[in-house]
Amino acid sequence: MLWRAISEEQPGPKWAGLFNEYWPDYHRWWLKEGDKARPTYAQSRRALTTHMPEIVPLYDELCELAGGGDHAARFLSFDTPPAYLAGCSQAIWTGKEPVMVRNYDYKANAFDSLVLHTGWQGRRVMGTSDGLWGLVDGVNDAGLAISLTFGGRRVVGTGFGVPLILRYVMQTCETAEEAGKVLARVPTHMSYNVTVLDRKRNYLTAMMAPDRPAIITHAAVATNHQENVEWVSHARFTATVERERFLLQRLTLHRDPEEKFIGAFLKPPLYSTAFNAGFGTLYTAVYRPRKREMELRWPGTVWPLSLNEFVEGGRHVRVPGAA
Amino acid sequence: MSATVLKNISEIRRFFHRNDDPVYFISATNFNLLGLDEWVKNFKYICYIDCYGGKHPNVFCPSEQPHAEFQSIEDINNYLLQHKEVIDFIKRRGGKPKFVFLMFDEETERLSKELGADVWFPKAKLRTKMDNKIETVRIGNKAGVPSVPNVLAEVKSYENLRATCEKAGIGHDLVLQSAFGDSGHTTFFIKSEADFRRHEHEIIGEGEIKIMKRIDCRGSAIEACATKEGTIVGPLMTELVGFKDLTPYRGGWCGNEILSTAFPPKVRQKARELTFKFGEQLRKEGYRGYFELDFLIDKKTGDLWLGELNPRITGASSMTNHAAFAHADAPLFLFHLLEFSKKKFELDTSELNNRWANPDMIDSWSQMVIKHTDDNVDICTASPETGIYKMLEDGRVVFDRFDYHRRAVESENEAFFLRILQPGDYRYEGADIGILVTRGRSMTKAFQLNERAKKWIHGIKRTVDGKPLAVAEAGPALADPAFKIL
Repeated sequence: MLWRAISEEQPGPKWAGLFNEYWPDYHRWWLKEGDKARPTYAQSRRALTTHMPEIVPLYDELCELAGGGDHAARFLSFDTPPAYLAGCSQAIWTGKEPVMVRNYDYKANAFDSLVLHTGWQGRRVMGTSDGLWGLVDGVNDAGLAISLTFGGRRVVGTGFGVPLILRYVMQTCETAEEAGKVLARVPTHMSYNVTVLDRKRNYLTAMMAPDRPAIITHAAVATNHQENVEWVSHARFTATVERERFLLQRLTLHRDPEEKFIGAFLKPPLYSTAFNAGFGTLYTAVYRPRKREMELRWPGTVWPLSLNEFVEGGRHVRVPGAA
Repeated sequence: MSATVLKNISEIRRFFHRNDDPVYFISATNFNLLGLDEWVKNFKYICYIDCYGGKHPNVFCPSEQPHAEFQSIEDINNYLLQHKEVIDFIKRRGGKPKFVFLMFDEETERLSKELGADVWFPKAKLRTKMDNKIETVRIGNKAGVPSVPNVLAEVKSYENLRATCEKAGIGHDLVLQSAFGDSGHTTFFIKSEADFRRHEHEIIGEGEIKIMKRIDCRGSAIEACATKEGTIVGPLMTELVGFKDLTPYRGGWCGNEILSTAFPPKVRQKARELTFKFGEQLRKEGYRGYFELDFLIDKKTGDLWLGELNPRITGASSMTNHAAFAHADAPLFLFHLLEFSKKKFELDTSELNNRWANPDMIDSWSQMVIKHTDDNVDICTASPETGIYKMLEDGRVVFDRFDYHRRAVESENEAFFLRILQPGDYRYEGADIGILVTRGRSMTKAFQLNERAKKWIHGIKRTVDGKPLAVAEAGPALADPAFKIL
């Protein structure tokens, strides 16, 4: 995998270049159930205006940079996209500093492997990018960190693809409490557990779903189920219960120093190489919202990134089993 | 069966000896009601884990199973009740089935009804209410059974907790328990802000929490059965708590001992009286049948405090139901079945209680629940099978013979081991390996594990083996900053 870390203060040529590069694949994916299965541009823009009005000007600007096409604009709205699933584990360290650690478990060939650092709309954000402006985890200059895991439910409904919801939270919120309100309000098209951690070490996990109101919990751990396992085969396949139990034990039975706690994510049972079965751990991310820092980790490798002193770069990462 | 009234223990025993209706204990394993099949005709166990490798005549396990992914015993039971092999088994055996469980919920009740079975326990809703630790305090207060100095409150932050405790005058060295949960999973020892942080996700937003002053005490357990003729009280047992050789959970239950002299006569008598009073109060609240109380016994003063109520059979039930009195009269659980059988009976419970209070009615046994306590995860490749084990002169523990009767243990050099962990299972910190039952004590007078118990634990554990899970290695950073420039 080629990983890249790219910075661009305002939407511009770099972003347009990325769009051109990723768009053919995304376009194919977005069209896989046909054009009619997706909401129209008018519907999508209305949905954005209703639920995320603050970022509509940014959306318009990105649509322009993407070439102004109808499909591209509908894709970029993240309004009811095709279904997607992932694995993932995330947890808040119980020590004094606010630290969030997460594994992102997904298919290697359907992943952007891109860290985006932006200053859009006057707010600096960095995080792991998905769908060109969505995020699967990130941190902003207010010291708020965010991360998602798939909620392990088969229900698909009307709502936004969750990476855009994370982007929206990063663009508009400063504390875990504010983020909780947004996560409770914005509709998602599938079930996700979104954990936020702020600079004062307040945290919460929103269990979001298309078919019922979001549950805001004080869970410090999230894997791939919500209050109960509902999709048994997925749960078994991703060992979500084992991973949750393992993490809860780490949190409550041990007084792990930070490094040891992070290290647990890079070993089984949290770390998975089951790529041939569809999902493996693509990376481990560590967020330190008070310091506005993140790290990407693979066994034996640490790639530190700072919101304030962001250095662009790239790495070839060979994850065993991943194509 | 005749419609006459059962008038004494002999008639009660005969009644169950000739029982026609199938009675099923449905649970992960049959451990809790071990041996009851020999008192009740047509009593079968339906289990998820076959601890006996198919060799127990009354244990039925469906052969086709997913790998364990259950969050609770209720989940296991609900899975079993929907399994074709289980349904076929129950239908094939006919009759009007009666179900007993260790744990069940409203879904279990619904599934039982679908199968035309009666659940021989009070309703799940009532049990859940009684099981709530906060409700337990209230019932105890009504019955005149005092709880450790405590305050019931919602906790919003550490500062908030400190303020609550100052107001209640219980200091800052605390034990917190959420409303539900057992075996140390929901008991938190909190003295500092760092302690609080470790558990805050289990405390904040969990509603009312029981906040207790930490006292220096011994744990004890006592089981009883509330019947229409009054509450029948079993013997006071010690509790093994939080031993590192057995469990990774601080404050987690890991076994019991039964012996007539574990506590001074005064304490035993007091515990029996309080349990009786509590049982009578439970009856007033609409609960009947089997239950267990934990008493915390202050090391200095000998004062008894109510710890918790389990409105069900428990991990200690096997101890109660195999005590000498159980063989002389009948196991306590038989009275539970009697209470739910709708059979008319007369019983002088005070005579029974007095007889069971006699130290001669107790011989000395202990049980230890052995968990994997190392901080690692692997896959089990070998584990000791169920049966009778012998300890050799050099301290090695070896398999001697298969048996499913714990009374087959002849001396203190033998033990009965019930296998839970099977080859192929994940072995992780906290996973149950099995249960070891020995004659004699496993603790010293000071309530520490004795040398013999440690040898047994070590001997069993060294026969468990595992292979590591596949470990991934991503190459170190192939520093290549010259990525594709856009």
